[in-house]
Amino acid sequence: MTALPLFEALQHTYVGETIRHSAALIALLEIVHLVGLTLLLGTILMVDLTLLGRGIGNLPVSRIARELNAFTGIGLVIMLLSGPLILSSEAVRCYKTPAFWVKMALLAIALVFHFSIHRKVAQAEPPVPRARAERVAWVSLALWFGVALAGKGIAIFQPS
Amino acid sequence: MFLLSICQWIDSTRFNAVMRQSNWAFPTLDTIHTLGIVLVAGAIMLVDFRLLGLGLRSVPLAQLVARMVPATLAGFALMLASGGLLFSSEAVKMYHSPAFRIKVLLLALAGMNALIFHRTIYRDVANWDPGAVVPIRARLAGLLSLIFWIGIIAAGRAIAYGPGYDLG
Repeated sequence: MTALPLFEALQHTYVGETIRHSAALIALLEIVHLVGLTLLLGTILMVDLTLLGRGIGNLPVSRIARELNAFTGIGLVIMLLSGPLILSSEAVRCYKTPAFWVKMALLAIALVFHFSIHRKVAQAEPPVPRARAERVAWVSLALWFGVALAGKGIAIFQPS
Repeated sequence: MFLLSICQWIDSTRFNAVMRQSNWAFPTLDTIHTLGIVLVAGAIMLVDFRLLGLGLRSVPLAQLVARMVPATLAGFALMLASGGLLFSSEAVKMYHSPAFRIKVLLLALAGMNALIFHRTIYRDVANWDPGAVVPIRARLAGLLSLIFWIGIIAAGRAIAYGPGYDLG
């Protein structure tokens, strides 16, 4: 039992076939995906830097986090919409590329971490102890950079 | 053509041969370049959103800019370095790539926009921030910056889909 038939079916859907045969559509979706990443990583980096004590002036992290929440969310929605569409155009290749599975695993962990521990620590008032804030920031940065790197890896590593 | 002969010379150098023969040089530089541009553009977009009144409204603009400008300049230097190396691994191809030309043009426009903003309306930021409304010229600078940077990301990605590239 593998998920391969599922990926084959996805690739053979109308949407998958249409995107696959249009270089312009693939390029457009990848651009949208990257702009979403810019919003997501840019805002998360900002919150994490604040947790690490390298924020803007002396503004508390809870304020920065609250103000940026919406942008992180928009970035995430953009990525979660464009990502599966890109996947549908090359589902079988992704299935055979380990980097894709690494990315999905890291993404799942990053999402759970982001909406539980990270959110709680970033919005805590009064702020959590510095050592804990720094630990959370490093984990968050490692997870999201891992997701981005694995994403790049999908394009670089072709299945053998 | 002068520029073309420079590109041809770059493609004939030893460095270019090394880049082409290595399986790792290009993907590594490409990854650094992509992640870097996402971070640089991310930082710039936060300032743009603030100028447009879309977010970070409770953060004083001068503090935000003071924090962002050094980080952005450092990130941009990294972009230029990695981008320069990527360029020199396929200079003639870049010379013929319309997306590459558009990207360079947009980079120049984004730079000019930022320079004009800092030299003019931002000079007396203390007089209008914090205030109820961001002056129209500052908002315009933010909007243009947003458009230019999304364009730079798009053009950068499009280079890989230009003439001579394998869509694999």
